[in-house]
Amino acid sequence: MKNKYILIPLLVLILTSGSCKKFVIEEPQTALTEEEVFKSLDNIEPLVLGLYTSWRNTKKDRGGFVFTLGTDEAQQGAYQVQTDDRQAGLDRYNGFLTASSSALAQQWDSRWPVIAAAARVVYSLGFNTEEGERKNTILGEASFIRAALTFEVSQYWGEIPLIDQAKFAEYGTRRQPLPLVYSTIISDLQNAIKFLPDTQSDKRRATKGAAIALLGKVYLYAPIASEARDFTKAREQFELLVNSGRYALVNNYADLWDPSKPNTTESIYEFQFTNVNPDNNQTQWQMGSRSLAEIDQYCFFGGYDLMVPTTYCYSDVADGGVWENGDVRKNLSIRYDFTYKGKKPVLNPSFGGDELDPHVKKYEDPRTEGTLSFWLSGKNIFYLRYADILLCYAETLNETGNTAKAVEIVNTTVRRRAWGGNLPADQMWSAGLSSDQFRTKIMDERMRELCFEGWRRMDLIRTGKLVELAKLRNKWTRESGTIQSFHNLYPIPLQEIKQNSDLTESDQNPGYSNQ
Amino acid sequence: MGKFSFKIERVICALIIVLLFSIDARAQNFTTSGQVKGRDDGLPAPGISVIIKGSTNGVSTDGNGKFSLNVSPGAVLIFKGVGYQTQEASARPQSMTILLVPTENDLTEVTVVGVTMKKRDLTGSVSSVNEKVLRERPVTNINQAIQGRLPGVLIQNNDPRPGGGTTIKVRGNNSIQFGGNPIYVVDGLVIEGGFNAINPDDVASVDVLKDASATALYGSRGANGVVLITTKRGRSGEGRIEYSGWAGVQSFTKDIPYLNAQQIVDLRTDAFANRYMDENPTANRQAYINSLLADGSPAFGADELKTYREGNTYNWLDQIRQRGIQQNHTMSFSKGSDDGSSVYVSFNYTDQKGLLKTSNYKRFGGQVNLDQKIKPWLKLGSNTTFNRTEERYIDGGVFNIAANANPLLEIDDNINYLSWRGIQSTDLYNPIRSLNIDGQGNQNRLLTTNYITATPIPGLNIRTGFSVDIRNQNYYNYIPRYLGQSLRNSTNGSATHKKENWLNWQWDSSVSYEKSYGKHNLSGLVSFGLSHNSYDYNQIDARGFATDDFSFKYLGGAFLKEQFQLQSDFTTNSLVSYVSRFNYNYDNKFFATLTGRYDGSSRFGNGNKWGLFPSLALGWNIAKEDFIKESSLAMLNTLKLRAGYGIAGNQNIPNFAYRSLYRPVFTSGSVTYVSDGRLGNERLRWEKQKQFNFGIDLGVLEDRFTLSADYFVINNSNLLMQRTLSTTTGFTNTIDNVGSLRNQGIEFNLNAQIISKTDLQWNFSANVSTYKNKITKLYGNVDAIYNYGGYTGVEIQREGNLFLGESLNSIYTYKFDKIAQESDMARIAGIDYGGRTIRPGDIIPVDINGDNKIDDADRIVVGNMDPKLYGGFASDITYKNLSLNTVFNYNIGGKRINYLYEGLLGGTGEYAGHIDELDRWTPTNTSSNIPRAYRGTGRYGAGETDYAVQSTSFLRLSAITLSYTFNQAFTKKAKMSNLRVYFTASNVFTATGYKGYDPEGGDNYPTAKMFVTGVNIGF
Repeated sequence: MKNKYILIPLLVLILTSGSCKKFVIEEPQTALTEEEVFKSLDNIEPLVLGLYTSWRNTKKDRGGFVFTLGTDEAQQGAYQVQTDDRQAGLDRYNGFLTASSSALAQQWDSRWPVIAAAARVVYSLGFNTEEGERKNTILGEASFIRAALTFEVSQYWGEIPLIDQAKFAEYGTRRQPLPLVYSTIISDLQNAIKFLPDTQSDKRRATKGAAIALLGKVYLYAPIASEARDFTKAREQFELLVNSGRYALVNNYADLWDPSKPNTTESIYEFQFTNVNPDNNQTQWQMGSRSLAEIDQYCFFGGYDLMVPTTYCYSDVADGGVWENGDVRKNLSIRYDFTYKGKKPVLNPSFGGDELDPHVKKYEDPRTEGTLSFWLSGKNIFYLRYADILLCYAETLNETGNTAKAVEIVNTTVRRRAWGGNLPADQMWSAGLSSDQFRTKIMDERMRELCFEGWRRMDLIRTGKLVELAKLRNKWTRESGTIQSFHNLYPIPLQEIKQNSDLTESDQNPGYSNQ
Repeated sequence: MGKFSFKIERVICALIIVLLFSIDARAQNFTTSGQVKGRDDGLPAPGISVIIKGSTNGVSTDGNGKFSLNVSPGAVLIFKGVGYQTQEASARPQSMTILLVPTENDLTEVTVVGVTMKKRDLTGSVSSVNEKVLRERPVTNINQAIQGRLPGVLIQNNDPRPGGGTTIKVRGNNSIQFGGNPIYVVDGLVIEGGFNAINPDDVASVDVLKDASATALYGSRGANGVVLITTKRGRSGEGRIEYSGWAGVQSFTKDIPYLNAQQIVDLRTDAFANRYMDENPTANRQAYINSLLADGSPAFGADELKTYREGNTYNWLDQIRQRGIQQNHTMSFSKGSDDGSSVYVSFNYTDQKGLLKTSNYKRFGGQVNLDQKIKPWLKLGSNTTFNRTEERYIDGGVFNIAANANPLLEIDDNINYLSWRGIQSTDLYNPIRSLNIDGQGNQNRLLTTNYITATPIPGLNIRTGFSVDIRNQNYYNYIPRYLGQSLRNSTNGSATHKKENWLNWQWDSSVSYEKSYGKHNLSGLVSFGLSHNSYDYNQIDARGFATDDFSFKYLGGAFLKEQFQLQSDFTTNSLVSYVSRFNYNYDNKFFATLTGRYDGSSRFGNGNKWGLFPSLALGWNIAKEDFIKESSLAMLNTLKLRAGYGIAGNQNIPNFAYRSLYRPVFTSGSVTYVSDGRLGNERLRWEKQKQFNFGIDLGVLEDRFTLSADYFVINNSNLLMQRTLSTTTGFTNTIDNVGSLRNQGIEFNLNAQIISKTDLQWNFSANVSTYKNKITKLYGNVDAIYNYGGYTGVEIQREGNLFLGESLNSIYTYKFDKIAQESDMARIAGIDYGGRTIRPGDIIPVDINGDNKIDDADRIVVGNMDPKLYGGFASDITYKNLSLNTVFNYNIGGKRINYLYEGLLGGTGEYAGHIDELDRWTPTNTSSNIPRAYRGTGRYGAGETDYAVQSTSFLRLSAITLSYTFNQAFTKKAKMSNLRVYFTASNVFTATGYKGYDPEGGDNYPTAKMFVTGVNIGF
């Protein structure tokens, strides 16, 4: 009797046990697992598109301009400097520019996940057996993205980890010597050139031309210590691009900043934005004037003065600045007039004081005027522009003994357009410039053409001019007077040193404490 | 059990007789009187017949359980009533208190998951609160009702908003982030979240299980304690109708003493002038100050100067607050019969008007508990709670913006943003206008547990139960077009709908058998349970409305289609458990319980899903031993030793943490796959807590005085935690088993019936607990895991870091040395303060390692937030019909960073300030500990050091209640069985040195005090 009853529950237990193994298996219903994502090109392709977006997002909002602060062309607005010492350190190069600078850590942290995911794509494609052109394109894109970001991080931080799944046992996540870093970047770009198509209908995606342009720039910008700097190889890449006939300057410099004219023939690669969150870039919020924001949040040149031009960058040559007579780029790059709806704003005495000084104009988005907050500004942002490549090309010509041709390129392309297609004789550079004179003049020309577009810090670092020129032209750097040559590199973020098991405190860049 | 209690009664009777005869040897008739109560709930037992043994003379107890009877010396009284075991006691001339033991029905049973048990079989460490205690505080949620009443249970009110919850910690922290809270088991159903759904008026008892042998039946989820809630059931005897209701007014307990407008002006001019003089040492300070107060001032906006000159000051907080009003009504009907069938039905309504304008909270619901004996061997039952809550929210930021608003800024509901120095901040939305944000929420919840028990042969129980927890929650919000929030983001009005659904079911079956062989009593249990939790939600954010008139109600009319956002998710997790449990006792002296469970959880990857959790508990009831009974210690009627050891598990991590996940994101016109940032960890496994508990229970004089003490050690290994990663891994975080923790402590609980006379009774209870935890191991060979946060997520936070050898709750920062004096300047001249300049009146941090450089190496653990002692005490004095009940809570030795206070000591005058700044350091007030006024941030702020780490020790009178119970003579006339009216004041008094709003509740929102009047009526 007793035994019989005990058997019933035992039976139930036995019957249910088998299915219990299954009962505790739950699969995500709204996410793909890593295995699923990397299994097929149908999933890898959207992943790579996501990497383009993540890369793009490093260029938006405040973070997109961190590297341009502390240069000779731009600095923080006075109110920003007064209210945030840590951020002010980016211009002051003082004791606040340390390993615990959160602005820099954020830049570091936003780039590595993109690099690592691109590396996983490259690695996983090695096992992919699908046929067709698409696989090669994706491989080219992932290589391009990894190279572009690794290049950028290395420019600012020097020796950095290399992410390569195939070599993880060897590399780990420790800092690698510069020659290895640059040879890896170069080989990635060579792959990109090999696999990328000439054109892509989706403008987010990189083309062969973008890879060639970037490879040229890598040869030009590589630090001496990397043993990769090679003006001849750089020139060869630029020549490929120039001779391809695929790219041309737009006739009217103003068209570059007209949001209704994106992705022109001059654009080799630009980051795509819109006025709709999350694809807006908030750039105007950072560049505009607080005095206008005070009047109307929907004024398209209002904002909060994160970054303003240095006096040198907005002044005429006659006043010790950079602008020459008749250069149309001046008034298209920089806003001098703040009259809004017929009224001249008055400076609020409790502001920082420079709110009505000249401001960055390139990012103004007139589409928002009166209808949208300037927070929703969303013009495309250039990465590789043909004008930049022409100026780089001229530099490599100068460095490889062909100064005359270099001068001719500058006069007939970039400068000619800057004077509306007719470069006056007195504004023409002389074919008889020495290579040293050319080097000096090209730096100013690059500022006039490319100011606020994100290349200035790298230009200053590669020419060894950062300390000298920032001290001379950046108000806060000058006032602080503390910039030194070690500031050519940024400090490795403290949280990286603490969390990366392959780094110790002594891996910090020289000159910086782990503060 | 019968045998056991009979014996004990005989001993007690004998004792009492001996005592009586030694004290009072007069051989005369006398009047004895007293009160009869239930031992389980402590409530008066009316209608109990009191008969003199050997006669038919007797009386019945009245509505308050009281009796009075003329007896001859040596008489023995028999107490007899439906639902209670018959009990005998010698008549005494003093007042007698008789505690009747309920018959073996549901009142001594408690339903744990899938099985009903005798409470006494819950060996191990258990703290309980009965119905009587629950009635002492008029509150609307169960946590508040038991606050301060249980040793080892720390309950904190940290969300005093209407309907706001509380946190509860059993024995301090055992886990890091996941499952720090105990689980709640309502009549056998494990519920998560939304405990407000339970009406305290429906609760018969709350038992908190604290150690592994007690929680073993929940091994999978009991690692952080188990709160067992048993709802009321009908009692046998005459049916009852009861009403209880109360209403009260609420107000804030505390205001922060802010600087007023004129004081802000003084502070700001001082700050500007100090900066100016530092930079221009030879300038004329007064001339500069004059320029600051003149038109066109760089320091003040024109509007601020106007306020200053008019001598005004403005309090924005007053504009948004109001007096709160709260009321609560419960009506219940119950009846039971002798065969164990019973019914209990109740209805409840709660209404709370919040302390901030427009906020309120309503709840209505009920409870139906049924038990029926269908056949002599078959019983079934159901416990069902249903309720609906409706809330109106105030926007989250409103209180802080209003409290910290510029007192120089004229009250104006037309401006969109508040300003300081005439500079508008688009983050400071006008709080008065924000009251127009229409935020509403509601929740429907159904908790139902249903069972069938068969007893085919005596001793064998087969039970199967099915329980369901269904919860639907809706949240709605509308931000009108004209508010700063809408302008800033160009939304033209934005509406949000969020709908969430939870469906959790549990199916448990068990077979138990008990048998006695002589003095050997054995029982065994095997059970099997499945539990399945599913959750889904969807959220719509729509923007662009032509009119504000429809609020959030008509999404179809929104025109900014490209700004619409849709979200949804569906998740499921499941658990399987096998349990076997074996109880043995010898002659009710020695007890042993051995439990084993084997749990599988879907939250872990293949190979790591299953965990085995054994436990063993031993008990020895020494008072039963002859050598005690026959010794001078015979007055001890309880002396019990308990020891338990076991392993409890924790799996309360996010779903699928063992996998790296990618989700589609729509951007720039196409879909991309994006990682959620978490690195999947295939090695994830159960967190395991090895718990040891040793306890002793003492009781003397018929348990008039009882004392329990417990000592515990918990060694927790494989601690689960989300930690941040170096982004070179490609991810930002992972969930990992990061280390081990040791937690130990002691708890005492004392209950005393100090005075026990007919007209005067005084009961006192107190508990004190302490714990200490220490991290004993971290993964790999790291000695620290840092908590990164802040605006950019890369700054080391002061809280939440883990350090080997330190408490889980440590505070890590630079140490405040002193306020710099002129005489310190030479000493600190050679120290590198990382870009900062320290002048007299500024904060100096300690250079811990003495390397003349303040850097990462100088940050240390400056203390921890764990209290040294915490608990509560309560006193209950009854004189005739009047009774006074007081409940105190206390906490000694805890610390906390006072974020609010340090923010108010910025010293710039460009933000709200604390009145302490009036005593700030100046060249003529150098003994002050308050930093000087200074404009700019080139010095150390209070928040960069431990300057504002303050003691959270406090003593709080959490409730004081005066009540009056009417005589039966009166209630009979009114056709009632009992009537009680009371007045309660809660949180009226808190002694603390903490400078924020509340040492428990923190700094975001003040706690509320309340004055309540209430009534309990029985028919």
